Parts: sequence; structure tokens; C-alpha cells
Amino acid sequence: MKKLKSNMANMAIMLTVIAVVAAGLLAWVNKVTSGPIEAINNATIENGIRSVILGDRDIRFTVDAPVEREGFVFHSVNDMNGNLIGTAVESTDRNGFGGDLKVMVGFDPEGVILGYTVLEHSETPGLGAQADGWFRQKSAEVSEQSGIVNVLLGAPAKPGNHNIIGMNPGDDLLVVSKDGGEVDAITASTITSRAFLRAVNSAYKAVFGYSAADGVSGASSQNK
Amino acid sequence: MNYFKTITNGIVKENPTFVLLLGMCPTLATTTSALNGFGMGVATMFVLICSNTFISLLKNLIPDGVRIPCYIVVIASFVTILQMVMQAYVPDLYKTLGIFIPLIVVNCIILGRAEAFAAKNNVLASVCDGIGIGVGFTLALTLLGFVRELLGNGAVFGFRIFPDSMHMLVFVLAPGAFITLGLLLAIVNSLKNRKA
Amino acid sequence: MEYFLIFISAIFVNNIVLSQFLGICPFLGVSKKIGTAAGMGLAVTFVLTVAVIVTYALQMWVLNPYGLGYLQTIVFILVIAGLVQMLETVLKKVSPSLYQALGIFLPLITTNCCILGVSILVANATYNAQGLEPNLLTGVVYAIATSIGFALALIIFAGIREQLSKVSVPKSMEGMAIALITAGLLALAFMGFSGVDHGIAVAAGL
Repeated sequence: MKKLKSNMANMAIMLTVIAVVAAGLLAWVNKVTSGPIEAINNATIENGIRSVILGDRDIRFTVDAPVEREGFVFHSVNDMNGNLIGTAVESTDRNGFGGDLKVMVGFDPEGVILGYTVLEHSETPGLGAQADGWFRQKSAEVSEQSGIVNVLLGAPAKPGNHNIIGMNPGDDLLVVSKDGGEVDAITASTITSRAFLRAVNSAYKAVFGYSAADGVSGASSQNK
Repeated sequence: MNYFKTITNGIVKENPTFVLLLGMCPTLATTTSALNGFGMGVATMFVLICSNTFISLLKNLIPDGVRIPCYIVVIASFVTILQMVMQAYVPDLYKTLGIFIPLIVVNCIILGRAEAFAAKNNVLASVCDGIGIGVGFTLALTLLGFVRELLGNGAVFGFRIFPDSMHMLVFVLAPGAFITLGLLLAIVNSLKNRKA
Repeated sequence: MEYFLIFISAIFVNNIVLSQFLGICPFLGVSKKIGTAAGMGLAVTFVLTVAVIVTYALQMWVLNPYGLGYLQTIVFILVIAGLVQMLETVLKKVSPSLYQALGIFLPLITTNCCILGVSILVANATYNAQGLEPNLLTGVVYAIATSIGFALALIIFAGIREQLSKVSVPKSMEGMAIALITAGLLALAFMGFSGVDHGIAVAAGL
């Protein structure tokens, strides 16, 4: 076949045809994939709520419809008798290492942290991203992190204090040890750690008011 | 035309990263770990093979005057398809690679191969070229990711080798990307010089 | 104040080239002389600002209302390519002197990924707006700040490379290898700014 000449008509027709075919193809792919994409997004939130509130516990529960307020999203979780088990809060801190850091934190009605999960982050991959495991790591698990070389040398990593599960930001706001707090920051990721703890603290404040000392009880400010 | 030679040519003699020095943005940005580098390489290879195939098929139908816009539409379509498919089936990798997936459109490797190869050769040869250059790019990115992850994070493909305290963090951060690639290039050059 | 923070953050802390890895090709390609580097920087500032306004408008008033979000990549790149063509023609007619200065850089800009990248970041509101509402104004401010960051990195790098060309380098390191390592050291220097934006924000009581 001979190559088409570059006259106006040919150029206009071919460009239009290619653009229309491309747009049609994309519309079709979009239709096919939009289902799975939505399913994945819903599953992320659902699994998030399950893991931050229940952890390993296996009980039946219901989740109220999500409530959005001042940039936070609240999911209240009840047991089958309608008693509040805890609240999962989606909270964003805008000053992570690479921008937004979005976490979901679960609190019991007293304000004790039940669990957390990192929903979105723009931290250095493989580094700031460690937040997902770091702040729930029990000291016993630390040695698993120490790597082959250390195990061979028989020198396991020294345990730190960075498990925030079971803490209550109402007693003391969570602060990294570098800033005089109790929580050890992720090795060499202080900015990410600060952003993470700020997101947790602000999630607490969003549910329970400014601090336990203000006398705002958990239940009264509970979002309904 | 020797198809096998076309493939190996893209991997060694015209390696897009170490020889042609094209597509530097994703090369530096996404190679914080071997797996991320590999993922980016495969994503680019997919777009490259598809666009090479179609541009080679359509080469006689596309008038020279609107050549570039037509190529861009073809490439952008495949990038968008890739974007949607990745979002649906490998959401974690999609999130990690982030903005660099849509930016495959402006990766000079792809438009470059469309112009330099697919527009002049038959479909089968163009597919082979896509595979060759794609594999070359993937290997280079994986290698870079491997070195950076090992030095910066003490792990390989997520498997821990060195303990936490032995990391040279700078290698997973931005400066490490430039420095590692610079050193790898120097090694490639010195191998080439020795041969010559 | 927040706008000032956007500038500080985009120029120094999260420099588009040295920490976000966008626009590496021109950064390595047109950085042998300070003069050309400055020209390229100016051209990018110009195109990026216009591109962000046009693509943002398209996203808000065409793509989003009609649910065509999936056409974003294809529409943006075509708009940018067209825009660069148009700017070239207009500049040639309106201001021949400016065209003389920027003309040769314009064709290179279509494939500069920082234009498409920043357009997508602004349209999707995934950039760091320092707590401000991500709208057209903050988007444009961010775009200008980003291109100043790009120009700054390019000019500094060109200055270093001008000096570098006068010294002897090991044979295997010649050319791109030493350039990349230099860029790495420059990126290392820019890392010293990390946290500065947050510090200023705290000092200003934000």
C-alpha cells in the first residue's frame, strides 16, 4: 500500500479517525475497569475499618454510614446489640515528607488506639512507607527485622518504643522522642513520623474534642 | 532483518538507559526498590510494544504532516488503558508509581522508537524492537533499583539482608538516584573502554 | 503567607527536578551553558503557566462534568502539544525578540515531562498547597513556583558544569556519568532545605 499524501483532507480525516477510535476504545476499557476499581476502593475502606477496630478479634459488627466533617471521615462501628465498639477515623496530614499522609485510626469509646492503617502516602517508597508496620511493632518482633547479616553475627537490633496500639492520645498527645515525646520515630524518617503522629492526634481531637482534660467525654462528642 | 538480533540490540547495544540515555525521569524516580523499578519497566514495555505494533500497522495510513499528533494519540491511549488496568488489578503498584504512569506518554523512548523504528519497519520487526528496548529498559531499572534498595534499605526485593542500623539511607532518597546511575554509567563506560 | 510557603516549598524543599524527578531530560540536556539554561528556564515558566491554566479549565469545565476523567492523559498531552505550537507562532508574530530567545527551546518542551506532570498534579489537586484550597489561583502560583525551581536548578547545574568542563575527569566518568554524580551532590545540598517550609509555617503561627 502506498503512503497517504499529506494534503489537508487526508490529514484531517486520519487524525479525526484515530482520535475517535482511541476515545471509543478508552470509553470501553473505562467501563470494563470501573467496576473492579470501585470494588477495590470500597474493599480498602472496609478492610481498613475491620483491621483498625477489630484487629484479630472475630466478632460480628455493623458500621454506620460514614460521616464527613472538617476533612475527617468517621465510621462508627457497633456490635450486634447496637453498642459502640469504636470509631474509625480517616485523617490526613498535609506535611508528610512528600505531601499528604492519609491514615485511618481506630479508637475505642475511651479514646484508646485500637489500630491504624496508612491509606495513602507520598513518602519515599520503602522508607516512609514503613509507617504501616512500624507504629504497631511489638518489641519482640523487632529481632525479625534485623536481617540476615545481623542474625549471622548474633547481634539482634535493639528494641525501641514505637508501638502506639493501646495508647490514649487523651492522656498525652503522641510526640516523637526527638521532640521530647515517648514514641521513637522511624529510623531516618522523622518528618514522616511527625506527620503520622499529627494525623493520629488530630483524629483523636476530631472524635473526642481537644483533650481529656477539657472534660469532653468520648460519647458526648461522638459523631452521629 | 534478523529478529533475534533486533531484540538483543535493544538490550545491549542500544540499551535505552545506559547507552541512549533516554527516559531519565522514571529511571531515577521509580527505582527506590528493585520491585518498583521492575514494575515501571514492565509498564513501559507494555506501552512500547503496543504502540510500536499499531504505529507500524498504521504507518501507511498516517500522512506525514500529522505524524507526531497521531503517534501521541496512539501512545496516550495505551498509557490510559494501562492506567485503568493497573488501577483495577494492581492498585498498590499503581499508587507507588503514581504520576509516572501517565507520564509514560512523554517518555522519549516511546516516541523515539515510533519515529526511528516502527514507522520504517514491518509489524513483526517493530514488535521485536519493542520487546528488546522494553527488556533493556526493565533490566536497567531493576538493576538500579536493586543497587539502591540494597545500599539504602538493606534489602533485596523486600527481603532483608542488612540490619536497620547499616543503611545508607541517601541511596533511596533523591541524591542516591543520581549518584547510583552515574556510577553505574561509569562502570558501563569502563567496560566498553576496556573492550575497545 | 501561604502563597509564600508554596514558593519556598516548590523552589527549595520539593524542587521539581532534584527531588520530584520531573524534567530531568532538559536538566541533563540543556545545561552545558548558563545562557541556554536561563533561556530554557524562561520558556518552561511561560509554557507551564499557560498550560496549567488551560488544562485546569478543561478538567473543571469539560472533563469532570461529563465524566470523561479517563481521557485526561490524552487530552492534556494534545493540548500541551497544540499550545506549544501556537505559542511558537504567536511569539514569532508578536515579539520577534522574545522568539529569538525562546524559539529553539519551544519544540523541546512538548516532551518535557514537568509540563504534563505539573498539569496533572494541579488538575488532580495532588500537590502540596500548604493548607490552602487547591483552586486555579493556588494552582497557578504552584506552577510559577515550580518553574522558578526548575530554572534555578538548571542554572546552578549549568554553572557547575561550565566549571567542570575545564577540569580533567577519569575517562569512564566523562560526560553523563560525572554530570549525574554532580546532580546527585546538588540534590544532596537541596535536601538541606527539608523541613524549612514547615519551620516557617510554625514560626508564622499557621
